[in-house]
Amino acid sequence: MSGKRIDICEPGYLSRRTLLRGSGAAISLPLLDAMFPRKLFGSPSTFTPYDRSRVIPKPRVVFCYVPNGVNIHQWVPAETGSDFSLSKTLVTLQEFRNDFTVISGLGHPNCAGGHSGADTWLTGADLSSMPGKDYANTQSIDQRIADQIGSQTRFPSLQISDGSGTGSALHSHTLSFDRNGIPLPAENRPRRLFDRLFVPAHRSSRRAAQRRFEEKRSILDDVASEANALSRKLGPADRTKLNEYLASVRETERRVQRQAEWIDVPKPKVSDQGLLLNSRPGNAQDRSSWIDVMLEITYLAFVTDMTRVVTFQWSREAGGFGPGGENHHEYSHHGGDEGMLEKLAGIDRAFLQRLGYFLSLLQGTDEGGRSVLDHTMVVYGSGMNSGDRGEHSPKNLPLLVAGGSAWGLKHGQHLSHDPEDHPPLANLLLTVAQKMGVHTDEFQDATGTLAGLA
Amino acid sequence: MKPKHVLMLLCLLALKGFVWTQTTPKEKRKVTAAKHVAGSFHATVFLRKHCLACHGKGNESGELRLDTLSMDFQSPRVVSTWTEVLGAVNGHEMPPSDQPQPPPGDVARFVQWLESEIARSELLRRSSRVVLRRINRAEYDNTIRDLIGVDLSLSSFFPEDTSAGGFDNVGDALTMSPLQMELYYTAAREILDHALIDADWIDGRLSYPAPPKQIRWRFEPEENTEGMDKHRVSRGGQIMLLNRGDNAVENGFTRIHHDAWNRWLGIRPFEVPEQGEYLVRVRAAGRVPTRADVVESARGLLEERHRLASDEEASSSGYAKDWISEQLDHFATDGIYDYGPPRMKISLALGGAPSDSTEFDVDALELEPKIYEWPVHFAKAQADVRLTYAYSVPGMDENFWMRERDEFARPELLIDWIELEGPVYSDWPPASHTNLLFQSQQANPTVRDYARDVLERFMFRAYRRPVAPEEIDKKLVLFDKARRDEASFIEAIKVPFAAVLSSPNFLYLVESVASESVASEAAALESVASQASGRRLTDYELASRLSYFLWSSMPDEELFDTVAKDSFKDPEIMMAQVSRMLADSKSDALVKNFAGQWLGLREIGSNPPVESLYPKYDRHLEISMVKETESFFAEFLRHDLDARLLIKSDFVTINQRLARFYGIEGVVGDEFRRVQVPPDSHRGGLITQASIHCITSNGTRTSPVKRGVWISKTLLGTDPGLPVANVGEIPTKVPGIDKATVRQRLAIHREHHSCARCHDKIDPLGIALENFNACGEWREFEGVGRSGRVEPGTPRIDVTATMPDGDRFVGVDGLQSRLIKNDEPFLHALASQMATYALGRRLGISDRAFVRELVREMKDNGYTLRSLIEAIVSSKTFASK
Repeated sequence: MSGKRIDICEPGYLSRRTLLRGSGAAISLPLLDAMFPRKLFGSPSTFTPYDRSRVIPKPRVVFCYVPNGVNIHQWVPAETGSDFSLSKTLVTLQEFRNDFTVISGLGHPNCAGGHSGADTWLTGADLSSMPGKDYANTQSIDQRIADQIGSQTRFPSLQISDGSGTGSALHSHTLSFDRNGIPLPAENRPRRLFDRLFVPAHRSSRRAAQRRFEEKRSILDDVASEANALSRKLGPADRTKLNEYLASVRETERRVQRQAEWIDVPKPKVSDQGLLLNSRPGNAQDRSSWIDVMLEITYLAFVTDMTRVVTFQWSREAGGFGPGGENHHEYSHHGGDEGMLEKLAGIDRAFLQRLGYFLSLLQGTDEGGRSVLDHTMVVYGSGMNSGDRGEHSPKNLPLLVAGGSAWGLKHGQHLSHDPEDHPPLANLLLTVAQKMGVHTDEFQDATGTLAGLA
Repeated sequence: MKPKHVLMLLCLLALKGFVWTQTTPKEKRKVTAAKHVAGSFHATVFLRKHCLACHGKGNESGELRLDTLSMDFQSPRVVSTWTEVLGAVNGHEMPPSDQPQPPPGDVARFVQWLESEIARSELLRRSSRVVLRRINRAEYDNTIRDLIGVDLSLSSFFPEDTSAGGFDNVGDALTMSPLQMELYYTAAREILDHALIDADWIDGRLSYPAPPKQIRWRFEPEENTEGMDKHRVSRGGQIMLLNRGDNAVENGFTRIHHDAWNRWLGIRPFEVPEQGEYLVRVRAAGRVPTRADVVESARGLLEERHRLASDEEASSSGYAKDWISEQLDHFATDGIYDYGPPRMKISLALGGAPSDSTEFDVDALELEPKIYEWPVHFAKAQADVRLTYAYSVPGMDENFWMRERDEFARPELLIDWIELEGPVYSDWPPASHTNLLFQSQQANPTVRDYARDVLERFMFRAYRRPVAPEEIDKKLVLFDKARRDEASFIEAIKVPFAAVLSSPNFLYLVESVASESVASEAAALESVASQASGRRLTDYELASRLSYFLWSSMPDEELFDTVAKDSFKDPEIMMAQVSRMLADSKSDALVKNFAGQWLGLREIGSNPPVESLYPKYDRHLEISMVKETESFFAEFLRHDLDARLLIKSDFVTINQRLARFYGIEGVVGDEFRRVQVPPDSHRGGLITQASIHCITSNGTRTSPVKRGVWISKTLLGTDPGLPVANVGEIPTKVPGIDKATVRQRLAIHREHHSCARCHDKIDPLGIALENFNACGEWREFEGVGRSGRVEPGTPRIDVTATMPDGDRFVGVDGLQSRLIKNDEPFLHALASQMATYALGRRLGISDRAFVRELVREMKDNGYTLRSLIEAIVSSKTFASK
């Protein structure tokens, strides 16, 4: 099963003696690939949020992506403006009616949507715009924000997804793309994410830690110069590939610099009490507890100010599970079948319940006299619309924005746009970026901020 | 990129052809240009005659306009549309069968022209080249194992690698990010900390501390069973808890009857005095009840239950007897009571987190217990070792209440003792240390000379080529700097080692454009230009391609030696190396990584059959399914079988667990072996294997569409792709579709032309496999309801299938015959998948001739996988940059 194996037949310093001793020959056992329990039976979370946050309020944002579109008939409210009734699906968030805005009719004019929706949701890029290349993406809005404000926190941003890594072109497992359009790998194991955020790396002395940073810096220097030398010997395509390596080394150098700056700041003490850190996204039964624990970790990262920017792809496009372990993708090809549309709406509502749970954590925590939700912008939606007959359209995307009222976001309204003549989705992203403190009027094809939201 | 009107093409293409041929030698130029013009003229006529009536102005079927489709083959988007056109014409999909058909000669000419246009554009865009390949996760682990001699599987902490063309070793798809950079560095430090022991440079040599003290702790579960402190035991000055659960003790064995919260054995918490490799040993045996035992125990329990449930008078009535015998019928006949040996799971948690586990059949008899030994790594952290019962008796309506009653006969585990011993090492200092820090050949070297020696050897192996002195100098700078900072020799040498393990020359399979003799940068650039057509790889580069293909790892000493002696150029010597490498157990990586991805085995368990409908599906079965398919492929590789028999064979490769599942008798033991099966067994061949049935099902039911797509992609080499975004009109509601069977639903779906275009070819392939349920069991009827039982009157599953070409076949056997009858697509699919994996790049239209050549080689050499592998590695494509 596993490559990890020690040959005990090799007469060992110790094993030879012990082999001779037993009554029969000992049988060597392989290690298993799977190290974790397979099932948690979707056990409910027992996590307890804090009464108050531990930090000074600053703007934060989390982008939550759901794949395969929604049942748009039951999603879009009939009326517009602030005097509207929640749709059959959105009524799931009834409790938060005045804390979010429904936005309909938007889309990225440059993008094909469909199952490449996650690739472009936060970038708005025309993926085939570069001559001679099959695929070229551009920086996503969260990374634009992280470039500006990321240095103020220990982690400039976090990427979470149900698939580890980056996924493949047009089926991205991450929403984040760096300055060069390279996808940033996402984390899918709660335990690893928690450890990275809250478990101290070394118990070593300050001097030893400093020496280690020093050493790491000289190694990065060395490999960067090696890569530069190598680059001159390579053909054009290989050189482009190697540039990813060089860019990563440079970014890692910056991070080491930042880590060195954080050396005297201990990580906050956060208990893992009640967190189902062993939930696995690849496990249909674990689906909802996995989403919950990732949202709980996001919550903890916010209220301890470990980061202010999170992207979270709840499930992959053209695959993955609904919150109850359903075959989500199958229902997106509903072909107008009412039974399938109903099941799709059921998944939509179950996802919104998870969102509602997250909003309740944020809302229930006090931060300087307001709630954490008031300081946190939550952008939720999908990069495709499965439409009337399962057509996977890039138009009229399901979107909502919650929280952030302390920074001037207006809520309790439905901002409706004509799907055939609407401002680009980039306008919404730009609005959020500005509220996050990014001083710019430009992002991708944005024509300005989104009217009515702020 | 402007669209050009097809009717204007003639002159434009003539011009373009002329431009393209500018760079070709003078004598060839005229001929090529003339051929090109003639080809495009013919194509224009062909399109106008056979396509534009529907795909022209005003009548845009499927929104595809061929009259305005650009012929700028430099644009990937244009090429991909033309590739679809090529597929449609080639596959006789277009023109549709109700339209006048073009003469075959014209089709061939059109296809040939289009193929060569697309191929030319691929060559020009260089998309047919291997792009600098980063070693992927599996390759990283194997390389570290072979380079350093420690096997830590650290890559499980790396992000998953992206796949392209079905494999995760394709250079242009494998990306690098700051997170990975960080992880490579962290992994390097951890690997070196594991591999190297403390040492310092004293008097011209390394001097080592004494070997660490070893422990050997034995635990008898029944020790210390009295008093308040009965769970506490003491070892090595530590007090720990020995949990023996509520298990009975018999003849000195602790007997575990089933898995429950109070039935495991374990030791916790403790900490080993030294980190390292340890052995966890368990002396154990098993009891396997016979069928008669099962029936007897069930009878006892049923009678008892009935006695308790009813009064005296009713229990002697005829009704009671009927009920009991009806229930007993289940225990007497159901195959799940043909028990295999009990199974044990040992798990280790370190610092409160699961660290490792193993699972195995306890096949020893009570009178001859065996010692089962598990090598596992212990860190210095709070440890928890636990033994649990891991044999699953599927829960059925008849047995669910008695499965966990001790009176019920089921396989039982008997445990004598548990032992922990270590750290174990074969030598001191350990081999992982002396691999890197070998005994110097020089007499009284200086510390710096020694460091240089050590680095030279390490860098040669890590970079998989000779290194220049300047390259070593640069790494020595790191060593010097660390020494200046008062680091010990070991700490100082770890710095350049870690740099090597984080360097591009290690992490990428470098194939530079410039040959090594190029001195100046200017000359290098010149050679970049002149060698655009792809130079021959150096022997070292070729050796790496070969070893990453066959072993997913670096070349070994012998392969390096062969290259160093310059004998790699001799094709015979190279083939001898191929044979040697295939015979080495490291070629298991080819089975796991190639077959695993080609056949989709990595998908197993991502959407497993649900327990209520498929109670026989358990962890052991899941592991066994994957192993069956892997061993099946390995059987072909190791014994040079005719690869066409992958479709249908007269044998299976199974263990006892699968034999019980498939209902094949006479297989004892957990290891996989070849077993002959009779022709009417419906087993034998990939599409009869449970692994394939599981990954093409939805957990609750089968998916003929998924199965059809799997067969198309895997065995026939055509990827139907995802449904088109805007397939056109699909009616909003089909009356009665919610009550239809799977087969009927698919038929209704196919009534729509836009769906039928693909599904007419996909669905029949899947429908033929409907006799296998979602976990791979044979069935004649489809069960319904909560527990999936077959109700009386359920119609027999209809497995007749009709392909668009009119061919009709029945069930899995019919499908197998169809696939064998025309084996050409299968051979092409296999050859192109293997070539993709071997090269680490996606194949294009320009590779078709190469694939045809591979298939020809297979045909001439008994259709073996070996002949395919040999044809690939001896090809010019494989040996060229």
